[in-house]
Amino acid sequence: MAVTRRDLLKLAGAAWTSGPLGALEPFFRPASPSAAAERKLITCCGICSPACGMVATVRDGVLTFLEGLPGDFSGGGKLCGKGAAGAGLLYDPDRLKYPMKRTNPKKGLEEDPGWVRISWEEALDTIAARFRAALDEFGQESLLFVTLPSPDIWLRFMNAIGVVNRIDHIDECFLTDRIVQRYTTGGKTWCNDFENAKYIVLFGWDILAKTKIVFANGIINAKDRGAKVVCFNPQYSATARFADEWHPIRPGSDLAVALAMINVILSENLFNQEFVDNYTNFRQYESQIREHFKRYTPEWAAGESDVPAHVIARIAREFGRRGPAIVPAHKKTLCANYANATQLVHAISILNILAGTIDRPGGRYFPRTIPIPGIDAIVPPPAYPARRGRRVDGKDKLPLVLEDGGGIFTTLADGLLKKYPGMIKAAFFNSYTILGFPQPARMAEALATIPFLAVMDFLPTDTALLADIVLPSTIYLEANDLIVRDYYAKQPQVVVRQAVVPPMFETRSIAWVALELGKRLAPDYFKNPDGTWINLSAVLDERTRRAGLANSFAEFREIGIVTREQPFVPRTTFNVPGGKCQIYVPQFQERGGEPLPSWKPKRELPSPEYPYYYLTFIPAVHRRNTTQNNRILNEMFPTNAASMHPSLAAKIGVKEGQRVRIRSRVGAIELPAHLTETLRPDCVLVAHGFGHRSRYLGAAGGKGVRDGDVIPDQTPEEMVAAGNFGGAACIMDAVVNVEAV
Amino acid sequence: MSYGWLFDPKRCIECRACEAACKQWNRVDIGWNVRYRLVRVWEAGTFPNPRTQALSMACNHCDNPLCLKVCPVKAIWRRDDGIVLIDQDRCVGCRFCTKFCPYDAPQFHAGRKKMEKCTMCADRIDQGLEPACSAVCPTGALKWGEWKQIESAGVARVENFSEPALTRPRIRFVNAPWTAQ
Repeated sequence: MAVTRRDLLKLAGAAWTSGPLGALEPFFRPASPSAAAERKLITCCGICSPACGMVATVRDGVLTFLEGLPGDFSGGGKLCGKGAAGAGLLYDPDRLKYPMKRTNPKKGLEEDPGWVRISWEEALDTIAARFRAALDEFGQESLLFVTLPSPDIWLRFMNAIGVVNRIDHIDECFLTDRIVQRYTTGGKTWCNDFENAKYIVLFGWDILAKTKIVFANGIINAKDRGAKVVCFNPQYSATARFADEWHPIRPGSDLAVALAMINVILSENLFNQEFVDNYTNFRQYESQIREHFKRYTPEWAAGESDVPAHVIARIAREFGRRGPAIVPAHKKTLCANYANATQLVHAISILNILAGTIDRPGGRYFPRTIPIPGIDAIVPPPAYPARRGRRVDGKDKLPLVLEDGGGIFTTLADGLLKKYPGMIKAAFFNSYTILGFPQPARMAEALATIPFLAVMDFLPTDTALLADIVLPSTIYLEANDLIVRDYYAKQPQVVVRQAVVPPMFETRSIAWVALELGKRLAPDYFKNPDGTWINLSAVLDERTRRAGLANSFAEFREIGIVTREQPFVPRTTFNVPGGKCQIYVPQFQERGGEPLPSWKPKRELPSPEYPYYYLTFIPAVHRRNTTQNNRILNEMFPTNAASMHPSLAAKIGVKEGQRVRIRSRVGAIELPAHLTETLRPDCVLVAHGFGHRSRYLGAAGGKGVRDGDVIPDQTPEEMVAAGNFGGAACIMDAVVNVEAV
Repeated sequence: MSYGWLFDPKRCIECRACEAACKQWNRVDIGWNVRYRLVRVWEAGTFPNPRTQALSMACNHCDNPLCLKVCPVKAIWRRDDGIVLIDQDRCVGCRFCTKFCPYDAPQFHAGRKKMEKCTMCADRIDQGLEPACSAVCPTGALKWGEWKQIESAGVARVENFSEPALTRPRIRFVNAPWTAQ
């Protein structure tokens, strides 16, 4: 019997429009039964960086379904929960809809900003005037930009006005890895050839439940093909379940195990001799290298890590002997966690180099890409002004971080409040909430001291509550771009990102804001050679043409995806000084670091007052602190709890669901206990991303607590003293007391 | 022709794409905790030897659907291809079906006072497509197909899955490290 879609909708019973979320109603019209009104559009996800290819079903102008794009390297034709729930972001009834200004001069998370709607013209004129006044009177150092260095036209805008203080969250993410890779193998790469690896070692990283599909399937496929997967993590994660071996390592001691693995591999000569002799600086520094690692025996490491010495030695031997071996390094859950994260990623890089798998089958490799010209190639800018001024985050104390160009989240509040109070006169935040900082309350206090704050976001976040001007942002489903594959890129691939619906309300892209602010503050940088203003869609057309993808962007929208077949030729020279992979890195020594990784303890160790390790994680269904208000995802994972072992719970006298207080030297949070056998008894684990205070976030506001309230921020001096020369954020490096409330 | 599910707990990464796709395709009301499909993670063992198991569960469109038999108003019916559906016009929301379902498949919508559940995306099947959940599953943990092929492709029972003998659910499991004795 035939059942039409309309019947089925009736049978299934539901339409979003009938829910308690009345505000959704204006966005959803009843689905039309006419197939003619249905369109399928190729685009890319924008939740996380692999940007999986998607096919969007749009019916009568309404996005009705998202699924994977066949042939796409990132998603493999599939989506994760966050990606599949994209409509929950697009049609979030709480979205910022038009520019607004505050009327309540008092700033604070508990203050109602008294927002009133203004025009884009007024918003942009006000921002430009405040920035201009700050620049003229106090110079470049008086502006603070908390934004990514992208898109390229936004970077041009910041360069054109000479921004000194640009900060992003990369120190909490992959900054240490990027700094280390620059000098060891020649640059940060996201590409891991798990499929061809025979031995995969995972320090800390819950690579499966991170849900980057390209990585998850890489690991799963590798195991199907006979690879062994070893996982070190204080928590029995989804990855631990999948792995052949799980070792509940003591928090912050991954470095000890990595150093001891190098010790065994060197002393038993288990490295890939052909690669090491020809493509690394091992022989040049052999005596220093061998001498350095002698002290890091498995027996020593066992005392630091709780992983038995014979296990470490066996894993090192298997790593050296079994065939292509790889230790991926990635982002939070590894690179940013502890004060010794820079040393850890250096040790990991050395393990990969010794395995001989850099840009080889089964290893970390560099993406093969189609070069797409940026705006500077299409409309070259005049010379940028010289930049002068003090660094509010103090990154000038860390030469490798300064050279890298990223900023430091964890030192920003200290800079604003203590080091340089009053220096910042005007600031611009794009899509960062205070929840992303350690000690978010202190960050809010610091932001309230800035005389003028503009915030661009798609939601009324906690940061927006503190803003003088709020700008409504488009999201990825309303954007046009060309996305180059860089997570799996043995062959070059480019996928289109296109607006599946027109921008909702008065939302605009950050690129458009760059152009409009640029016209007002630095017009010479935003003109074509003939004197007309730069046109963003003309630039996109030109990029499409010059990359050889199509004659126009409109044409490439129809094509959607381009893959260039080419053989994978392993590199023989590497983009580092001397052209060979560096195990011993003299440049680190010249820039405040050390040439070989030494053991450093984590920042804070358990004490009688704070006896437990405090760990955080990001749930598989959420992206940092940006998706908790997505109704679809919120229903799956609405709030956080304090996971702990039953023995810890018994010690403090709480049962499942009873409230506990977690207290560190900087703050306390109260939340329900969740008892689990999957965690070391000396740890307590809390999900990140919750505790939004903004009452304008209808689903996430007021739910859960901020994990960062107990995580101490840092000073640059403290980082230097701790040997944290790569700027690790130490987000898992707190110790706490836990008690019943 | 009839259909069934094939689930591999080992490949499940708990990403819940199945849930998200299900909600979106079927326009499931958000905010009422109506879950046509739900990923649960079960825990057992003791530290340092814990075990966990992820199961993605929806209506199993049983061969012997008790929900259908107990429905006092005959709102539940079965298509020729075995898909079990709830007629929203007939349903009175008495919740008998969910009491008898071993898998919590029928969901009570407290706002509409009716039962809803997984339709196996019958509308998609009628268009020659597979259900939304298995279509997006990134790791192939959840598969869907012809029951004839699936029935012999795995075991009928794993731990944390209710005894199948009574209702004969159309789901099989592969790679299940916890296969019940």
